[in-house]
Amino acid sequence: MIRFEHVSKTYKNGTVALRDVSLNIDKGEFVFLVGASGSGKTTFLRLLLREELPDKGRILEAGRDVSKVSTWRVPYLRRNIGCIFQDFRLLPNKTVFENVAFALEVIGRPRTTIDSQVPQILDLVGLTEKAGNRPSELSGGEQQRVAIARAFVNRPLILLADEPTGNLDPSNSETVMALLERINRTGTTVVMATHDKALVDRMRRRVIELDHGEIVRDQVRGVYGIDEPVGGR
Amino acid sequence: MRVYLRYAIRETLSNLWRNRLMTIAAVLTVAVSLSLVGAALLLKQSAAQASAQWQQGTRVTVWMEPTATSSELVNVRSQLESLPIVKDCAFFSQAQDYQEAKKILPTVEWTVLKVSDVPSSFRCVPTVPSNAFVVESTFANQPGVYKVTAPEQQIREMNRAIRILQIVFLVLAAVLLLSATVLILNTIRMAIFARRREVSVMKLVGATNWFIRIPYMTEGFIQGLLGSAVAIGAVTALHTWYPLHNEFVLTTSALMGTNAVVLVVGVLIGSVGSGLAIRRFLDV
Repeated sequence: MIRFEHVSKTYKNGTVALRDVSLNIDKGEFVFLVGASGSGKTTFLRLLLREELPDKGRILEAGRDVSKVSTWRVPYLRRNIGCIFQDFRLLPNKTVFENVAFALEVIGRPRTTIDSQVPQILDLVGLTEKAGNRPSELSGGEQQRVAIARAFVNRPLILLADEPTGNLDPSNSETVMALLERINRTGTTVVMATHDKALVDRMRRRVIELDHGEIVRDQVRGVYGIDEPVGGR
Repeated sequence: MRVYLRYAIRETLSNLWRNRLMTIAAVLTVAVSLSLVGAALLLKQSAAQASAQWQQGTRVTVWMEPTATSSELVNVRSQLESLPIVKDCAFFSQAQDYQEAKKILPTVEWTVLKVSDVPSSFRCVPTVPSNAFVVESTFANQPGVYKVTAPEQQIREMNRAIRILQIVFLVLAAVLLLSATVLILNTIRMAIFARRREVSVMKLVGATNWFIRIPYMTEGFIQGLLGSAVAIGAVTALHTWYPLHNEFVLTTSALMGTNAVVLVVGVLIGSVGSGLAIRRFLDV
């Protein structure tokens, strides 16, 4: 599903974000991306979204070479990728329903699709009763669930999550993770960048650790810390 | 498509309403500058038309002294007739000129005028209008000649005045058009800046650039359209209620042409301005 071949990325100010990264993520995998701030996690996700282009190497996503996608086709590429963030990025002047519907609206889905899909996805994230509320009337966990609903309503092949639990308390983190697992079980590939040690340790999923732009660890059923390695890949 | 149409219309209208003060400013600037452009165009066209009419009827008139002897008259006439640049000459006797003066002058003046006070004249049509000056310089100092007059000089001065006026109008209009473009650009940029979260979410979930761009470009288009509508009203009003002189009055088709130019320029300024404004927010 995702394939990096000797990918390097250096920003204009000289910061080396990724250095010769090669990896392969299969369809339906759940991958944690860990590492200190500035280790290249965000760049990794930005490259997948094609917000950046690699300087060297090749990125294949759903069988397509990302660098070769022409600019006007980038939106179509992004329709296959759901995305959630630490700061939710909801639209404050729209209701929960409208926030989720917006994702379908802007890709030109007809009203009938919106009216059938949005209640379905709100039911999945357990926010049916809050459909008419504004994001400001929701808790952080609920807001993140709205964001997940918006990212997933279009049934993307890949879901990218940039520290989705960064702003949440443990019990809300729990709910969000359960939701991501559930989405993963539908066959969606999930890539999640995180700093949440407890969470990674408990989930026992594939862990890729980045350090100064290089992959220093890639474990099938990994934990957060490098001080307790559990079987290399 | 129908979904998008509804979306675009809703977005455009809500943007216009949200930025109504800036919208009014932009519309008025477009209106004022386009009115000037329209006025300059009208002026140019009527000046061209009027000067064509004047030049067609250019005559040079050689006025003889009322006391001129008949030998002087014969001398001037034979010279005029032998001059190749003069097409055609008509002699107006003192009696004929007296009759003409009676028509032109106020009653009080012509009642004290006697036929013997009036000069006789040669009314000549030169082959080309500029030749009127040659006639003037040749005959001004001939014995028995009182004065040679040619309207060419006045036409030329009038034309120059109109040309200067026209340049002033056009420069002013260009400056105002530029500021109208900048105002529209700024209005749209503010609208997008206020909604950059929305734009970034749209890009994130895979909205195409044109999808995002069109409501904003429509907004600029409408501002330009409203501005040019006001300008067309002003130009038409100027044309209808302020007829300068018979020779200046233009045909309806000339007015329509001017209005079409005003409309096209206004609409272009609006759409292109907003298209430029949004460009920066779209490349990610």
